[in-house]
Amino acid sequence: MLKRLYIVAILVTFSLASFTVSYAAEPVAVIVHNDNAATNINNNMLKKMYVNNILKWPGGAPVILYDLSVESAARSLFSRRILGKTPSKVAQEWAHKKITNQAINPPHTVKSQRLVIRRVSKNKGAIGYVSLKNAEGNPNVRILATLK
Amino acid sequence: MKKTTFITFLALIIFSLSTATLAAPVFAVSDGDRLDRLEQELLRLKKENERLKDRLGQIETLTNQHEAAEASQDHHNSTKQNELLERIEIVESEAEESRYNLLAGLVNISGYADIEYGITDSKSESNGFRLHHLSLFFKKDIQEKWKLFSEIEFEDAPLVDTDRSSNTVKEAHGKILAEQLYVEYQPMLDLDLRFGRFITPAGYWNIFHYNPYVPTQVKPMMIKTVFPKSSDGIQLRKSFSIAGSLLNTHLYVVNGRGNNGFGDKNQNRAVGARINYSPDILDRIDIGVSFYGEKDNDKVRRNSYSVHLRGEYDNLALLTEYATRDNNPGAGLTDYSDTSWFAEAQYDIGKWTLAGRYDWYDKNDSKTDAVHKRYTGALNYHFAHNVIGKVEYHKNKFDDPTDEDYYQFISSIVIAIGDL
Repeated sequence: MLKRLYIVAILVTFSLASFTVSYAAEPVAVIVHNDNAATNINNNMLKKMYVNNILKWPGGAPVILYDLSVESAARSLFSRRILGKTPSKVAQEWAHKKITNQAINPPHTVKSQRLVIRRVSKNKGAIGYVSLKNAEGNPNVRILATLK
Repeated sequence: MKKTTFITFLALIIFSLSTATLAAPVFAVSDGDRLDRLEQELLRLKKENERLKDRLGQIETLTNQHEAAEASQDHHNSTKQNELLERIEIVESEAEESRYNLLAGLVNISGYADIEYGITDSKSESNGFRLHHLSLFFKKDIQEKWKLFSEIEFEDAPLVDTDRSSNTVKEAHGKILAEQLYVEYQPMLDLDLRFGRFITPAGYWNIFHYNPYVPTQVKPMMIKTVFPKSSDGIQLRKSFSIAGSLLNTHLYVVNGRGNNGFGDKNQNRAVGARINYSPDILDRIDIGVSFYGEKDNDKVRRNSYSVHLRGEYDNLALLTEYATRDNNPGAGLTDYSDTSWFAEAQYDIGKWTLAGRYDWYDKNDSKTDAVHKRYTGALNYHFAHNVIGKVEYHKNKFDDPTDEDYYQFISSIVIAIGDL
């Protein structure tokens, strides 16, 4: 009887927690360095880069990935649309790969969108994403794709 | 003459004189003169009006210029303010990263911890709390391409207490071990070399086994049996990106089982290899084969082979592994194999993960009743990406009638530590 009560108590405790899912409202721009030769990129190619199936640009430059923080609305949209997972799930997977030292080219996580723009503008192989309004008209980076 | 009469008379004279003096010019000016004067006055007024209009115009112009200047100043200020905010945000972010980098300049610490409460009807185990793991990872970037990594594991809250006078151990329990300890050289993204102790790159679960990221605390039975969990030696990893698919290869030469980091007790090095291919289908597919061969300290030749397949589609992940080891003791002793396989399904619903696994292990195929089966069901709740609650149930069944079947019910809280 005590064991049953214990099991029920555990399940009830877990059940008290609620599902919380946040969705981004603003469109997101995928940005690269101005000198990047790529003229466009499709969702499949983006995914391959962000799961490390592609490690280099066609010209041979190593891909440098930038991510926003897990709480970011832009990351939520990017993760769901491109990777088909929640940012939290993706973060867990990278954490597992890092723990096991199997992460070949993990993304650099940066909190500020402006810092993503700044970093991408300084690294020729860099790719990142920020909200469209932050990327539009910015002379330092080039928009390769937009996600809505 | 009375005084009053005199004053009245004098007043009348003064009044009459003054009236005559005031009236004289009026009656003296003609109508034409008056018109001229009025015209002049009108002209003066018109000029005054024009002057006032001009002045008003000037004031309006000045006001507009001032407003425009103010607006320009506002815009300028606003632009400056935005630029400053942008700088502040960048500086803050960089400062935050610098803090991590500063720590990383010393050493990067991460890891995980888990605490369990278990209930079982096994006679060899007891119910209660278990402080299962505190596993700490220390990573130090020595140079851009060189790093040192170690994983120090404290299992079951270890204690070693000695008697000071006799220098003997009074009490000892738990386990402390260096599960990993290696130097890594990574000249490029797709190539690295490791020297030291590392997780044996075999199969899937053996590599990706850390408790914050797997659905159960209890591991499949092939772990630590068919392949060693970690190995001491040198490992080469090379990755190939082929048309959007990734081929990951590992080659390693190690001391082999039973050797504790102090050297190899025999002259035979163990060798191993793993190939994992991630083709560009479904959400994610990993398919791979592994090999590990050695002649151990007892001069038993052991060759282990495995194949693994993992697929992800939407919220569903399926994993299956098959591993077998041929054991050849020689000297007239009977050869035998130990074999294991499991199939696991995992489904994510929001912060919940539901998992089930069937696990099978035959520890000696030369015997007829050496099979151990385990049925597992588990439910995880992700309080955050680094805080997970788990409940899991395992039913263990044995073919050997001398081994009693038993169940385990485990609830646990697992924490991932550090900036992973």
